[in-house]
Amino acid sequence: MNLVHLHLLLNHVPTVGTIVALGVLLLAFAKKSDDLFRGAFALFFAIALVSLATYMTGHVAEARMKEKPGIDAELIAVHQSAALLALVFMEATGVAAWFALWQARKPGGRSTWATSSVLLLSVVTIALMANASTIGGEITHPEILAPGEHVSAATGALAPAALKGAAIRYYQFHHPNAWPQLEALHFIGLSLLFGVVLVGNLRILGFMRNAPYIDIHRLLPWGVFGFVINSVTGMLFFVGQAFQYIDNPAFHLKVLFMLLAGANVLYLTLFDDVWALDTGDTAPLTAKILAGSQIFLWIGVIYFGRMLPYIGGAF
Amino acid sequence: MESFFEWLQGLSIANWIATDESIWSFPTILFFHSVGMGLTAGVMFIICLRLVGVGAPLPVSSMRMLFRIFWWGFVLNAITGSLLFAAHATITGNQPIYYAKLVLIAVGVVLAFPLQKFVTGDASDGIIPVSVRGIAALALAAWVGVITTGRFIAYLQ
Repeated sequence: MNLVHLHLLLNHVPTVGTIVALGVLLLAFAKKSDDLFRGAFALFFAIALVSLATYMTGHVAEARMKEKPGIDAELIAVHQSAALLALVFMEATGVAAWFALWQARKPGGRSTWATSSVLLLSVVTIALMANASTIGGEITHPEILAPGEHVSAATGALAPAALKGAAIRYYQFHHPNAWPQLEALHFIGLSLLFGVVLVGNLRILGFMRNAPYIDIHRLLPWGVFGFVINSVTGMLFFVGQAFQYIDNPAFHLKVLFMLLAGANVLYLTLFDDVWALDTGDTAPLTAKILAGSQIFLWIGVIYFGRMLPYIGGAF
Repeated sequence: MESFFEWLQGLSIANWIATDESIWSFPTILFFHSVGMGLTAGVMFIICLRLVGVGAPLPVSSMRMLFRIFWWGFVLNAITGSLLFAAHATITGNQPIYYAKLVLIAVGVVLAFPLQKFVTGDASDGIIPVSVRGIAALALAAWVGVITTGRFIAYLQ
């Protein structure tokens, strides 16, 4: 198995997964079940994380496929910008879902505002994912087109030129400060995220005991804000200069660590054994082990990020 | 000054960091410098956001131990930063932005003292005085500036 196989596997997560998650969300409305709402939000969050990897493995597939006979490189480019547009909405859905999940812990309970945002964004995401995957399917299966049917019908606004790697790369090369500015933002986001990760997990590990976990929970949006800054800047690095990353083992490990650490965020947001920690309380051992692993995973993300130029030759 | 940079860069450790091809020299020191940044700026961001009044409603007194992390992170970065500087002293030492970073670090460190005094003091869980809020806002800006100028050092050579 290689990373192109992985793309063919992972592309079902944002396409089929979002439909399943939307089904759970609609069921939650019908049953008025808070558990189902939480389940749907958590699903959207997890799908949004995996979708980052779905998109990035697509660039590997592009690099391996575009020179092959019978492959339309132009079609790959259209698929890529359609996929990036879909990814933007997928990530927005994921952030809204996380926010709804977090908000549900507040005394007022689940917010209608956040819930409707998730609903709206997920419907748009499903449409855009369907568009991107339809084009994607035709890259290697042109035979499925009906006679006279043209795939180009799906271009235009659904595959915006500004979201092409080439456009972003042009900007990065023609604005000398673009790259360092993105880097500075990426490191500010890192510090914010790491600060929240430290404080949250140190409380679980038994430091800062005169803070109840409810107060730590109020801090989590700052960490997610840092994560959003870093996903956006990180994806701009990746989309503009994918050739530096797709064969870079440090990058593969960085993404793996990031996905694991991102899933761990759900634990801090959702689980009752940390939520119940009041002033002076000690967390159960499992919570402490998870807290320790989360700090370790984020240091791992920093390590492999820092090693990108040295293990894998990125600049 | 130039002769000092040349002397520094000529030290065997500086020479090893600059020329060794393995990941255990420059890259590993750079990694520790990034972790130190996460510790120093990371916890300072949380402390300052709380004191400015936009952060989570954490009891201010619960943040006392964060200053230990801040200072350990600072020591780590003073050491790793000096090593990184020594490796390329004749280049970095002639970059104005490097001195901007040093000034911003000095501002951040000087402001950490009154913040620590307030957080460790008896009145920390009471009303946060306007002066403390102002210092926290300045410190926040200073550390954002340290990270930004630090990143630019690598690109403006």
